[in-house]
Parts: sequence; C-alpha cells; structure tokens
Amino acid sequence: MLVSIDWIRDFVNVPNLPAKDIYTRFTLATAEVEGIETVNEHLEKIVIAQILSFEKHPEADKLNLVTFTIGNDDVRKVVCGASNVKVGIKIPYASIGVKLPSGLVLEPKKIRGVLSEGMLCSEEELGFAEESEGIMELPSDAPLGLNMLEYFKLKKDTILDIDNKSLTHRPDLWGHFGMAREFSAMFEVALCDRFTKEWSDGLKKKFTTDKAPVTPRFEGDSAGLSYWGLSVENVTVKESPEWMKTRLKACGLRSINNIVDISNYVMLELGMPLHIFDRDLIAGNEVVIKKLTTEETFKTLDDIDRKLIAGDTVIADKNGTLVLAGIMGGKNSGVTEKTKNIFIEVANWKAAMVRRTSTRLGLRTDSSQRFEKTLDSCLTERTLLRTLELIVELCPEAKVIGKAEYAGVNLSETKLLTIKTSLKKIKTVLGFDLTDSRLKSILHALDFKTEEQGEFLQVTVPTYRATKDIEQEADLIEEIGRIIGYDNITPLSPLDVIAPVKLTEIQKIQRRIRDFMVLQGKSFEVMSYPLIGVSLLKKVTWPTETSLKLINSLSQDHDLMRPSLIPSLLEMSEANSKNYDRFRFFELGRSYTEDKVQFTKEALQLGAVFFDKDKSTFIDMTNVVTNLLASLNLSAEFTERNVKFSNPLVPAEWIGNHPFEFANIRVMGKFVGAIFTVHPLVLRNLKIKGHLTIALFDLSLFENFSAKDKTKYKPLSKFPNSTFDWTVIVPADKQVLEAVSAAKKVKLKELQSVQVLDIFPNENEKFVTLRAVLADESGTLNSELLKQAEMALIDATLKAGFNLR
Amino acid sequence: MADLSKIKQEFLEKLSALNKEADVLNLKAEYVGKNGVVSELLKSLKDMNPEERKAFGPKANELKDFIQDQATIQLSKIEVEAINKKLAEDRIDTTLTDNIQVKTIKHGGYHPRTLIQQEIEDIFLSMGFDVLDGPHVEDEFHNFEALNIPGDHPARDMQDTFWFHDPHNAEDKDASGKKRLLRTHTSTIQVRGMKSRKPPFRFIAPGVVFRCERTDASHEMVFTQLEGMMVGKDISVANLIYFMKTILKEIFKKDVEVRLRPGFFPFVEPGFELDIRCLICEGKGCSVCKQIGWVELLPCGMVHPNVLRSGGIDPEVYNGFAFGLGLDRLVMMKYGIDDIRHLQSGDLRFNSQFKLY
Repeated sequence: MLVSIDWIRDFVNVPNLPAKDIYTRFTLATAEVEGIETVNEHLEKIVIAQILSFEKHPEADKLNLVTFTIGNDDVRKVVCGASNVKVGIKIPYASIGVKLPSGLVLEPKKIRGVLSEGMLCSEEELGFAEESEGIMELPSDAPLGLNMLEYFKLKKDTILDIDNKSLTHRPDLWGHFGMAREFSAMFEVALCDRFTKEWSDGLKKKFTTDKAPVTPRFEGDSAGLSYWGLSVENVTVKESPEWMKTRLKACGLRSINNIVDISNYVMLELGMPLHIFDRDLIAGNEVVIKKLTTEETFKTLDDIDRKLIAGDTVIADKNGTLVLAGIMGGKNSGVTEKTKNIFIEVANWKAAMVRRTSTRLGLRTDSSQRFEKTLDSCLTERTLLRTLELIVELCPEAKVIGKAEYAGVNLSETKLLTIKTSLKKIKTVLGFDLTDSRLKSILHALDFKTEEQGEFLQVTVPTYRATKDIEQEADLIEEIGRIIGYDNITPLSPLDVIAPVKLTEIQKIQRRIRDFMVLQGKSFEVMSYPLIGVSLLKKVTWPTETSLKLINSLSQDHDLMRPSLIPSLLEMSEANSKNYDRFRFFELGRSYTEDKVQFTKEALQLGAVFFDKDKSTFIDMTNVVTNLLASLNLSAEFTERNVKFSNPLVPAEWIGNHPFEFANIRVMGKFVGAIFTVHPLVLRNLKIKGHLTIALFDLSLFENFSAKDKTKYKPLSKFPNSTFDWTVIVPADKQVLEAVSAAKKVKLKELQSVQVLDIFPNENEKFVTLRAVLADESGTLNSELLKQAEMALIDATLKAGFNLR
Repeated sequence: MADLSKIKQEFLEKLSALNKEADVLNLKAEYVGKNGVVSELLKSLKDMNPEERKAFGPKANELKDFIQDQATIQLSKIEVEAINKKLAEDRIDTTLTDNIQVKTIKHGGYHPRTLIQQEIEDIFLSMGFDVLDGPHVEDEFHNFEALNIPGDHPARDMQDTFWFHDPHNAEDKDASGKKRLLRTHTSTIQVRGMKSRKPPFRFIAPGVVFRCERTDASHEMVFTQLEGMMVGKDISVANLIYFMKTILKEIFKKDVEVRLRPGFFPFVEPGFELDIRCLICEGKGCSVCKQIGWVELLPCGMVHPNVLRSGGIDPEVYNGFAFGLGLDRLVMMKYGIDDIRHLQSGDLRFNSQFKLY
C-alpha cells in the first residue's frame, strides 16, 4: 500500500525528518516499508529565469548557447536544444545538482566543448506532462528566482510503499487516518481526529424527511454484516480538483471523475471501501443483499463477464445483480458522465466469504483486499458521512433525499472487548523497565481506554482493533513493545534450570552412518525429493499401487510419496552415469507407505549406491556394509534370497532383483536391509551401462537394537597357535563360503578360525586353499591332537562335496 | 719393523676398487683375518722387547680397528647401491592418483545441508537445546489449528499446502483436524515437543518442509527449516534477543548486530522479523541488503498463549519464545550456491564439490 506523508499530515503533525528516518521508525514500530519515494522535491530547486540573449553553438547547428538571469544580476549560460528559445521569455531553470523525476542528476558538463551550467526544462522534464515539446514558457509576470514549488503552490510529499503482507493483521491501517494514528503514537504527537460527533451531526443535517428512493434489505443469510444506503440528487460528474487527483495519483490510483474519485479517496483515507451507483439505473426502490441460489454470469465494472455461483453474495435490484458484494460493482449500474442521481453504498462484509469468492474468480480488488482483513462495522457510518461531505464539497448543487437507510446488525449493541493486564506482566514479558505513565500514554495514543483496578489495568480495545487483531494480553504487550521499539530492549540471559542434553540414539546412529559412509565408504551424501511420479516408478518397474497420492500436486512427476528410496536412488544413478564411469553415493531419507491406522508410516532409510562401468560392485558394497554394521555394534546375518520368506524392503517379484548378487541382512531374525545388484533389465530402462549395487536399510528398526558396546576383551594367548592349510576344489555351481562353513562346523574347541588363504581359478572350477588356526589357551598343542584336527577338517570339506586337490 | 702406513695405504687402494660383498670380505680377511697381514704383526708383538712393544702395539691395534671399520662402511655402501638399483627397477609413477583419472571420483563427502545442520545442531546442543523431529505427513491439527492458524486463514489454501484430503470438502475424511497434508513448516514439532516434556525446556527441530510452489533458482517445493522453542517461567523478549545474538554469533563466527521489528505470524504474539546488520557491507548499504543495511533473517516471537494451550501448557504460568530459521538459505549464503534446486538433484558434479569432513 502506498502512503502519502502529506495526507498523513492532515491528521498528525509528523516531525520533519529525512525520509530514511521515517522509514526506519515505521519499519521498527509498525510494518515493513518496501520503498520510499519523494514527490515534487526537485521543484523546490528549480527557479524562474529569463532569457537575455542566445547565439548558435559554434560546433552544433541545432544547439543554442543561451544566456539568462535568475534575478539579482545572477547571469548564467546553458547549452539548450529547444526550438522555442526566444529573448525575453520566462522559463524554469534547474541548476547543477538537481535530480529530475526521470532520475537524471544534473552535473557540470561540456556539451560539444561548451560548459553548460544546468538545464532549461520542459514540462515533461519537470514531471508536469507525459510528453511535451520545447522548454516550458511561463507567464511574463512570473517572478524571477522564485522556485516552482511555491510558484505553482504545490506541496512536497514522501510516499511510503508498505508491504501489504505485513499489514495482513491490521485492517485499521488500510487507510491514511489509521496510519496517522500510528505516526501519532510512534512520534508522540497528538492526533487530530476531525471525525467527531459534532462533525457527524453537522452532516446529518443535510438529511431530509423525504422518503428515501432506495432502501437496503437483507434477504436470508449472506456475507453482509451491515449496509448503509444514501441517495443524493443533482450531482455533476466532472473532473476532480487538482489536490484530489494529486493524492490519488501519489497512492497509485488513476483519476476517473469526481464521483468515482471520491469513493476511492474515502477508501484511501478511512480504509473502508464503498460503492456509488447511478441511482437511475437501479430498478425499483430497494436493493437486496443476498446469496445467489443459482449460477449466473455478471459483467463487472472492468467489462469482464464473471461466472458467479450459488453462495456468492450480491446486491441486486428486482432485475438482478448490481454489485458483487465487497469485490466489484457491475458495469450496468456504475457512474458515467451522464449520471445525475446517485446511491451511495457503505457496507461491511464477512472476510472469509469475500476472500473465497475473490480467490475463486481471481479478482482481487482494492475493495476485496480490505474486506478480507475483517473490517469494523462500526466505521460504516463515518465512511458514509465523509463521502457525503466530499460530494457536497465538490458538487455544491447536490442534494440529499431522505436519510441514510440502514440494514444489518444492530451497531449500538456492539460489545466492547476489555482485557486485563498489569504493568508488572508487561515489564516481565518485554524485559524492559517501563513506567506506568509511558504504558498508559502509548495505550491512549493508540485509542485504547484504560481503567485502574488495583494492581491490574483494565484495557478497552477500540472496535476497529478488536475484529481480529487484538484478542488478549499478549496482543497488548505487542502494542507496547513495538511503540517502545524492540531495539531499546537490552539482551539478557534467562535464569533457567541447567540440564544435560544429548542427541537421541537414532540421531547418533544417523551421524555415525554419515561419518562411516563418507570416510570409509568413500561415498557422497545426496538428498532427493520425497515426492516422485508414476513415470519413475514405471521406469524402474516398482509397484505403483501402494504410494500415497497428493490431491493438488503441481506436476505428475511429483505427486506420489516415494514408497522406498530405491526409485530415487535409481533416478539419481541414471543422471550420474552420464557423467561418471564410477561413483558411490548414499542418502538418508524417508519412505512413506500407507497405514490403515496411522494413515501413513514413515521409515528412515539408508540407501547406498556403488556403480562401476566395468566390474561388479557387489563385493565392495558387501565389505563396506559389513564394516558399517560392525561399527554400529550390530551383529548382522547375511542370507540368500528366499522367495517364501521375502524381505519387505525389496519385493520378491520386482524384476530389478539380480539372480545371484543378492543378500538379505537380518539382525536378531528381523529383516533390516538388503544388498543387491540391480538387474540389467531395469538398468536398460534407465540407459545405465555397467554394474550397480544398492544397499538399503530401514533404520527405524535400528532403534530397537540396543547399541550397547558388547565388546569383550580376551587376554592375549601365552602359547603359540598352529595353522593348517589344505586345498579343495570348488566346483562352478558352489560358492567358497560353503566350504569354509563346512570346515567351521568341525566340533573342536581348539579350532579358532577357518579362512581363505588363496584362490586359483582352474577352468570352471576353483582351487581354494583354506587355513585353519588351532590354539589352546592352556598349553602348547600336541602333535596327536593336531593330526586329528587336520583329518577332521579335510573330512568335513569332503563330505560337503569339496574334493581335495 | 713393518711400515704400518704403507699397509694402510695399500689396503685403502685395494678396497676402493671393490664393489662386491665377497671381495670386500676376502680383502678384510687378508688383513685382519686369522693369518692376515695385520694379525701376523700383532702376533709378533710378543717377541718384541717392552719398549718396542709399547711403541708399536697401540699403532698396530689402531690399524686393525681402522681396517675393520673401513670394510664395514664399504659393505653398507654396496648394500645401499644394490637396494637402490632394485628400487629403480620397481619405480612407480607417483603422479597416477585418482584425481588425474577421467570420470572417476573416489573420495566421499557430506551434503552441504548436513555440514550446516550439524554445525547448528551442535551450537544449540551446547546451549542446552534438545534436537527433535516429527512426521512429514501431518494432520491439519498439528500444522494449523494447534498453531493458532484458524480454518479461514489464507495459509490453509490449496496454493500453499500439499494436501492428501480436500480441505474444503467436509465429507472427505472426518472434519476434526484429521485431514492429512505435508507439513508446511517445522513448527508442527512445537506441539509434539511441548506434549512430550514438562517446562522448563528448550529444543530445536530441523527438517524438511513442503510448499505447493513452482520451483525456480530460489524457490523449492521441498526445503529445510529449523524450528526452535524455549518455554519456562518469565521468559522475556530480552531473553529471546540474547539467545538469537549468541547463536548467530556462533553461526557467523563474528559478532552480529540484530534488530527486531514487528512481524505477523499467528503462532507468536508479539511476533517479530529478526534482521541482521548486513554482513557484506556492514550496514553501509549494498545490493545484498537492497541498500537498507539490514538483511531479514528469521521470524521469531513469544509463543502465542493458544499454542501453549495446544501443547498442554498453562499460559498463565509459563511462557516462551520460538523462532524459525531457513537452513537452505544459510547453506546457499555460505557456499554461494546459485540455484537451490541443486541441493536435491543428487547430481554428483554438485555434491562432489563438498569434500570437507
């Protein structure tokens, strides 16, 4: 909203501060100012001059070298390109340093080698006209040296551009009078409230005893709260006076004609919108405020057909809709140059209903914007009388017929809101040493009434602040705080109980996983959208039916909650495989699945991806995961895929499953994760060429496994151990671990470990040398026992189908 | 009498010509071995008279030690040469590190959000704040009603919030605040946090939030916020300013001048916008602060009594403050990231730039 300081000065004597100081004070006390603009300031520095002589510029045909005086024998020279230069004429002269409305700042400069001391101005350059030719010629009696501001009796002004969003909760600030009250409170200068009872009584004397030609009536429930209607005859529609046009222009509104301008002027002054009809275009003698019961098309003032629906509130005569309540009037009943008789509507509407209709129609007007904020019905009469005051001022021949007719809630029964507070409470909450007199003076400046009640203060809230903004003590504290200025409060540490704080187990686990994956797993942490689309699920052949769906997404690529991290991981892999031959990354993110009771179940997942264009990444991933789980103190079990007892993290029927490179990971019998290489069929859909292994974990399960450190130290053996190596043949259809496991099953307390020493590929099969470590903590092993152990180990592998080499 | 210096001279000449371990050992034996030249001389000492022995003995022994030392030195010289020759044969190209290989990245790194978020979490932990999180799929109650955002508030409109149920349709799901949506702010955790503890308490809640918004270089539909709350007895605006100043000093690693100005948020009263003195121009005015000298950083305020009530806390006894911080904005400020969408692209050309641990 644009606020004119000049207009504010109608009501309060704002101190003469630089615009920047006004900006800062207003920002800190009331609302955010987005910009400041000064109006007419340049005119104060532009003075009347008279041309003494001129000659052609020695180097340019079209330029003249003009000598002139600004009085007192002050003679100067400028280079001028205007064609209407004549000796003796009076013209406006801008000296060096003046900033013109175009933003141009005059600097001493040479034009084709000749120094020019400023500029003789055209009407356009002064901001008087949008286009003009030649320098402005002033009447011959214009006094030399007088500045243009004084000569034209204009006023300087400062315009504040206030962020509308920061006024959302302040319906009272949508007009200059309400703003003036803020200035009065923040600068501690008196507010001149001219809208007194005497003032309104005076205007009411213009009412007559005639029957009002048009009266308002409410029909059923609607957005209407209160409605005043007043008929005025014999107005003359014409151009508005200069002062009114200037103010409307300063506030961003275009002048139309005096009647329309008055309705806009009153809205900008008092914050309440109103509407003026051409009364001769109202059929019958009443206007009805009602909800539409059927759809209809209505042409608004801006000449656009709007589709109204049942439930929209309108003002109608017997022929149909005249005005879309609180938003915009109709084309067919608006004021035109021919209008003689008018009907003034000042009404108040329910905020939510106005907002709903205006949002639906995409029609936000100066009017709807204000009604949306919840205006005060008590202000309707004042608005009506101010409108009348201006109409008789601009059209002295106009006459009221009848009196102001009212329909709606009984305004005299409006309940006043009172709030109990105390100086002590306000001081405590602000942390500021406030005096009682300052407290009261701020409240009174803001039109609150106070009454002492022992140590408490009973505060009565003005009705126009009680519509939504001020409800309770905290709201009063804000009023005091912002007027004092929060920058006057000294920071202070609270007095509070000291208690230990720490991260939760799952938060610690997350940090450790990140550390491990980055430092040991050499992977990059990535983050992706939890919102995905059905096209991605289809591309990676993931089941689509279980995903939660948004009803108002912006795109089909982001309208489902991802049921697993896997589709996201594959999507990121697709993009990265175009740039890299090898990469590793991981994400800690949530999956979202439907839940009958809770609606949704969110699970924190760890997804890691290893990719290599040339060779399998499965073993590398398995090694990293094994060490990760060990570092988290989880004793995990790796098992093969089992179709009957499938891992809930990876659907058994998903074609992305690799036939061989797959391992389930279980902790205490529960599936917590899986490692698998993605089947080339799915990789082909993603145009990924190479080997891609994913590890996926459901971390929500990790919380249940106590991360207690179960490490038990064993004293180092005092006796030497013995090793036994033997080589078995592992056929193509078997894996090495089977041989190791078979050997490990030998029941011998001295058997410490069995591991692979060496592997030698031989055509389809492999020669695998195993090493068993044998030891006794109580003494050296004897050769007898060693022999027995060796026989048992060989026997065990033989029985499992592994022949000796 | 034998000429010791001549023997020494002879030995040194022969030794310097040898480059095989065996030859050196042979030469050594020739002089100081059992029947070596010097050994024989020492044996002859016993046949000498006391004066002669006294004059000759120490010199002969000295020569023996000298020859032994010289032989050892020559031996180690030969050994080093042999090892170095082997090293030269096994020499690797020491420049073939991962960094010069095309299309391969082998180091790891944290997401820049993590770097900032953990740093800030640690600052708050050090000042006694717990770290909380909550569900992303929320209900109307936690996202709106409990935070004093009434049913007709514009924030509830379809254009800001992702909904799973139609907010305007009374038949879609039972009405009482159960309609599901994606949380639009981390403030949802205020109520969850208040319900799970007794005052006094302090906590923060970092996490992702969702807005139904078209994305561009500076707007995301998924982004991260950090909510903070402190509740106790007689908490004041002065306390809020104290915490904000202290924490911002830690975050920016220098003193930060702050100012509060009125800001309207339904869940706080009074509500503030907290500005910091522009860190780029130090308040003189620049393009970052739009010539104002101040940069809007975070919304905050004293917790609205209705919000305390939603959390089961008596506003007559306790009060508190709350604040919200946009984490992504800090991430972008710190690293000069030009497009917020990179954060969630998973594009390793972006992520691999963050190598710091």
